[in-house]
Amino acid sequence: MSLTNQLVIAEREEVARGIRALLATPLIGERGSPETFDLIRRRREPIRQWFDYYCGWTLTVEPRLGYARLIKVRAAADPTRPARRLRSGRAAFDRRRYVLLCVVAAELLTVPVTTIGLLAGRVAQASAADDLVTTFDAATRAERLAFVDVLKLLESFGVLEAADGDPESFVDDPAAKVLFRVDATLLLRLLAAPVGPSQLAVPADDVALRFEELLEAVSHEQRYGLSSGRHEDTPSASDVQRNLWLRHTVFRRLVDDPVLYFAELTAEERAYLGTPTGRQLLRRAAEQGGFVLEERAEGVLLVDVDGLATDERFPDDGSNAKVAALLLLDALDEPRTIDYLQKATAKLLKRFPRWAKTYRGKDGVRRLTVDALAVLTGFGLVRAEAELVRPLPAAARYTDRTEEAP
Amino acid sequence: MDPFRVPPELFRFTDGSRSGLPLAILHAFGEANERLETALGIDDVRTRLREVGWLETLDDEDLVKALDQLKGQGHLDVVQSHAGDYRTASEYERRNLQYALTRQGEAAYAGVVRANEVLNATGALQTATLEALGERLGELAKQLEDGTDRRVFSTLTEVEGHLEAFRDNTKRFNGDLQRLLHAEADLATFHEVKAATVAYLQEFLNDLEHHTHTIATRIKEIDDHGIERVHRRALNGAALPKPDARWLVVRKARWDGLRAWFLPEDGATPRVEDLHNLARRAIITLLQVLDRITESRRRASSAVADFRELARWFTVVPAQEDLHRLWSTMFGLSSARHAHLAHADPEVVSTTASWLDAPPVEVSELLRSAGRTERFTRTGRVRDVTAIRAARVQQAIEERAELEAAWNMLDTGGVVRLSAFEKLDHTVFERLLDLLGQALGRPPGAEGARRSTTSDGQIEIVLRPPRNGAVARLTTTSGVFRGPDYEIEISTTGGGA
Repeated sequence: MSLTNQLVIAEREEVARGIRALLATPLIGERGSPETFDLIRRRREPIRQWFDYYCGWTLTVEPRLGYARLIKVRAAADPTRPARRLRSGRAAFDRRRYVLLCVVAAELLTVPVTTIGLLAGRVAQASAADDLVTTFDAATRAERLAFVDVLKLLESFGVLEAADGDPESFVDDPAAKVLFRVDATLLLRLLAAPVGPSQLAVPADDVALRFEELLEAVSHEQRYGLSSGRHEDTPSASDVQRNLWLRHTVFRRLVDDPVLYFAELTAEERAYLGTPTGRQLLRRAAEQGGFVLEERAEGVLLVDVDGLATDERFPDDGSNAKVAALLLLDALDEPRTIDYLQKATAKLLKRFPRWAKTYRGKDGVRRLTVDALAVLTGFGLVRAEAELVRPLPAAARYTDRTEEAP
Repeated sequence: MDPFRVPPELFRFTDGSRSGLPLAILHAFGEANERLETALGIDDVRTRLREVGWLETLDDEDLVKALDQLKGQGHLDVVQSHAGDYRTASEYERRNLQYALTRQGEAAYAGVVRANEVLNATGALQTATLEALGERLGELAKQLEDGTDRRVFSTLTEVEGHLEAFRDNTKRFNGDLQRLLHAEADLATFHEVKAATVAYLQEFLNDLEHHTHTIATRIKEIDDHGIERVHRRALNGAALPKPDARWLVVRKARWDGLRAWFLPEDGATPRVEDLHNLARRAIITLLQVLDRITESRRRASSAVADFRELARWFTVVPAQEDLHRLWSTMFGLSSARHAHLAHADPEVVSTTASWLDAPPVEVSELLRSAGRTERFTRTGRVRDVTAIRAARVQQAIEERAELEAAWNMLDTGGVVRLSAFEKLDHTVFERLLDLLGQALGRPPGAEGARRSTTSDGQIEIVLRPPRNGAVARLTTTSGVFRGPDYEIEISTTGGGA
């Protein structure tokens, strides 16, 4: 094998790794993952082009500031990828933490350096001044814990740097001394949505009512003209813009979601994927990204054999819920009621008596069923409708029909 | 260079709140001097003061006081003029005193004027200055051949003038540039200024190399005449009233300055290359800053408001699920999610087959029989289809290692002749051929050397043609290679990519 070939292969693999690393972690800091960052820095041009071409997403690499940020623009339909607390268990952020995160971010934008006490004071003031947001009360431990979770998340992004002291100490002692440096530029880059919520000026009462519409509104990009936003087409949208929008909207779902079902696409998007060009792009994008492309009658999906571009794996023994999910799939040979599935779960627990201890108590069967179904939903394998759970076509990848259902 | 020494009183008059008047007076004298009037009476001073823009009322007493003060500091001389036609005693008293600038006064005024120039000037790198410099050097070379000493002098003076202008401009430009890079406060003007600067720098860089080359060539030409002789002829041509050895010292210093910029004698890097690098770096930095500004402009103004509004949204969105969706949408920090199990051979399943008809992927049996905790916590990851892939990766790693070993073997650690390799393992020889091929694919540089770097920047090869047409003979395990005995330098330093 010649030298040139070797180099080409090395580059291709690195580009593919870089793409998948960014898909899993859209903000990669040099301090947190020096090797991945170095790889992205070296291969930033082809990686940037890949994201720009297929998804219309901007990749910014700051070699000297030490971070790479992929701006993923899309209105999220999947609720199973929340911000997580950086503690054991990695529990999802709750409302309080999300709210505090935003208040803290707003306060941090105005100061280059601050201490944890001063910041807490400002957050308390700012939240008190807002008639909607619950006032932050640093006197209660739960509040301080939530506050510290937020700070730790920002720290993990590189927005905050504890120059002196440990934020964790604030949980037990409101008088703890911690000095923070703030990276305001990076803080600005945390917001990926192209339209700021403040620009929309929605009355608070409408936010809940018009929530879906708002998600679309903040994700609206002008570059696609009026055809953007999966709305009905307008004659004024140019072909170029429409094609761009079609490509980006399809690929955004493909590279970010576990399964892309044709049934969930608009007729136009389906037609686009059906063209020889569309198919060819699919293959090329998958190959460049280091994915295995799986095309079937009902849809397509990208398999990441290395498991780089994913937050979770399935099937996997990472949790009881995941194991239960795999086994429950066998019971889902047709749409089943929750009731039926709970019975199947109960059978599982009986079959493996020493397994899943946390689900043994009161209400355990129900909880395990709920958690397992959440896994399956998250991987695009089932859809729950009221009392009925419907298996989706890709679920067949993991079921073994030769065996008896449990 | 001797340290600057300034007479202690020289700029005393610029101190304090009342410095306006003495300055205006000096200005008035300076203007007068340009019209070859060297001595002014008090009424002349008054007239001139108005001409230079001093419009405040001023009684004689204050004016005389100011004049006396300047005289006390050595800026003005007073002479008595008896030549005038005085009708009354008071007129005599008033008008017989004539003031004139002393040498120190001239210097002080010149200093102030220069200081103002520097304060108001903006630097610029002028291609025109460089062009003129090159052209005058050419002219100087020509005059050295067949011109008079007088022409040598005047041309040399012009050369020095252009060099001075170039140095001044560069200094000032660099100052401006650094200030520009730091001052990010004023966003409004910043954008235009920077965009203009970038365009301007790019244009300047385009011509720089060409002009530098011309100038360096001419410097060499002139040096061939013996620079000391050149300066002596210029001194002769200057026809100074008092020829001074210091004059030659200054010329020598200037010439050394010129060489330092374009063609240093000790083979050091010419300073003009620093300029080149500086300009290039500045372009990059400016573009980056511009980018960031465009972006932060869009955001910064409203970001605080956005975060606050978002806090409100998070407060009122009812469903827990919607919180997470709002997070994913607004911050775009959520991970992608993908399957990691693929078919061992994905090609065998038709792309139009239904998932229901396609064979399932191979899921670890341990996972299915997972009831026994102790077993499945130990199973760890699923390793079925990755085998082929792993083998392929392994192969690539091995090949890469082999390649790197070969490169290390080929690292010459300096210039050697191709024939120095003598015997080579065949695989290593193939790598060598790769590198040779790459280098030969490049156009030769100024001294006939061809340079090439592998695309990952790890290996650099420099190839020079053999001096005497010698032929190298390399023995490898599969045969003998004959070819020109290139001088070759391979280094694996490269500094990574």
